Amino acid sequence: MPGIWIMAALLLGVAGAAIGFWLARRRQRSLESLRSRLVAVTQSSRQTGDNIAHDLRTPLTRLHADVETTLRNEDSEAHRATLERVLTEIQGMQSIISALLTLGQAEAGGMPVKKMAVNLSLLLEEILELYGPSAEERQLRLQGRIALQIMVEADRQLLARIFSNLLDNALKYVPADGLVVLSATAKGGEVVVTVEDDGPGIPAEMRDRIFERFTRLDPSRTPSGGAGLGLSLVKAFAKLLQGDVRAEASRLGGAAFIVTLPAAAAGVPRPVP
Amino acid sequence: MKLLIIEDDVAAANLLKRGLEESGYAVDLAHDGEQGLKQARAGGHSLWVIDIMLPVRDGLSVLKALRDEGKGTPALILSALGKVDDRVEGLRAGGDDYMVKPYAFAELLARVEALLRRSRSSGGGPDTLLEFADLKIDLLSRTVTRAGQKIDLQPREFSLLECLMRHAGQVVTRTMLLEIVWEYFFDPQTNVVDVHISRLRQKIDKNFSPPLLHTVRGSGYVLRVEA
Repeated sequence: MPGIWIMAALLLGVAGAAIGFWLARRRQRSLESLRSRLVAVTQSSRQTGDNIAHDLRTPLTRLHADVETTLRNEDSEAHRATLERVLTEIQGMQSIISALLTLGQAEAGGMPVKKMAVNLSLLLEEILELYGPSAEERQLRLQGRIALQIMVEADRQLLARIFSNLLDNALKYVPADGLVVLSATAKGGEVVVTVEDDGPGIPAEMRDRIFERFTRLDPSRTPSGGAGLGLSLVKAFAKLLQGDVRAEASRLGGAAFIVTLPAAAAGVPRPVP
Repeated sequence: MKLLIIEDDVAAANLLKRGLEESGYAVDLAHDGEQGLKQARAGGHSLWVIDIMLPVRDGLSVLKALRDEGKGTPALILSALGKVDDRVEGLRAGGDDYMVKPYAFAELLARVEALLRRSRSSGGGPDTLLEFADLKIDLLSRTVTRAGQKIDLQPREFSLLECLMRHAGQVVTRTMLLEIVWEYFFDPQTNVVDVHISRLRQKIDKNFSPPLLHTVRGSGYVLRVEA
């Protein structure tokens, strides 16, 4: 009889040890995954820090050289010209810092969101109208395919910033004679807004990274002084509105930015005939 | 005309004072909320510029107190970071306009002048007919004529022109136009507003003389007859 008890005790011990081992492994694994996440976060924040330092050092270096050279010069016209360049550089740096602060605030959830019923169809038509002349000036065709009466529960200013950033991007990167299409549909409680083009597109391996701070497709080519923060802002604002954004290849041959947002809870009102 | 600036950053306040004095205004300074409140109560100012973050007493509570006492002097609120909430809170506390730091002095000056003009012209009934030189716009029929000749404008061009006419002779910045005409409180990264302006200019200036719509470098736009 005592043999059975010993066996049972042994079995229990083994099982207990196994469970203990399994628990320890699990804890270790979760610790490991936590650690690797922390490492990733630290790395990405370190990289962000490096990028900020780089993005601010470049104009500072230019400023330094410019001011130093001008100080050796007695000509007041030259002083004036330098001061004007200094002002432009400062404005560039200020806009990087403002964008970073806004981004930090949006991602930390510290940005108040004024939600109200917004007729997204109307808002998108307005944005198209705002960007129409600029697109034309750049010889781009800007088209809208917007379903009627799409209602969302959202912050009008954040929505406008999302789509204005995406159109700014398209205007900067799509070559002349290109096509940019802004389309919007609502189905099954979800609103999908797409900004797509027939431009050069985004390589598959860059489609997630493009939303990270300071990511530029071609770092040597930075038209209009884009700092690589616009898409990060789009993502942060979309998330603030319980939505998201992703990049894909467009049927048109270029890039497609797809923004998803929850439809207004009250349901989509029928368009008035 | 005397303005009161309540701003705790002494260097920034002094620069602002210098800029405003060079533009022809007299300026009083206060560096904390209590002192600002006292000076504002003493009166004699045509406009207050109030920073939100102030020592001793914050700017919004200063403004609220002044409004509760029935003081209607126009107030321009300054805030450190563009929180959406700050704008709403600022206007709710009785502010007439709101700016985010860091701001360009040209932007601040344009807004100060717009506020002063608004407070001078309020009182009469709403204007339905605006005139500047030989340019006339009728807000009811939404028609525009120059030298008696009818000009066709898109609805948004009409609103842009209305805004410029209301501030004729004063610089209106891109940000102000975007706020007043489109109701967007941020700056697009491309020159969207400028392109709308250049279309408007084509229509109102191209076949007429003298040109009325001018670009002010580094600031914005102004309707004026240049000497």
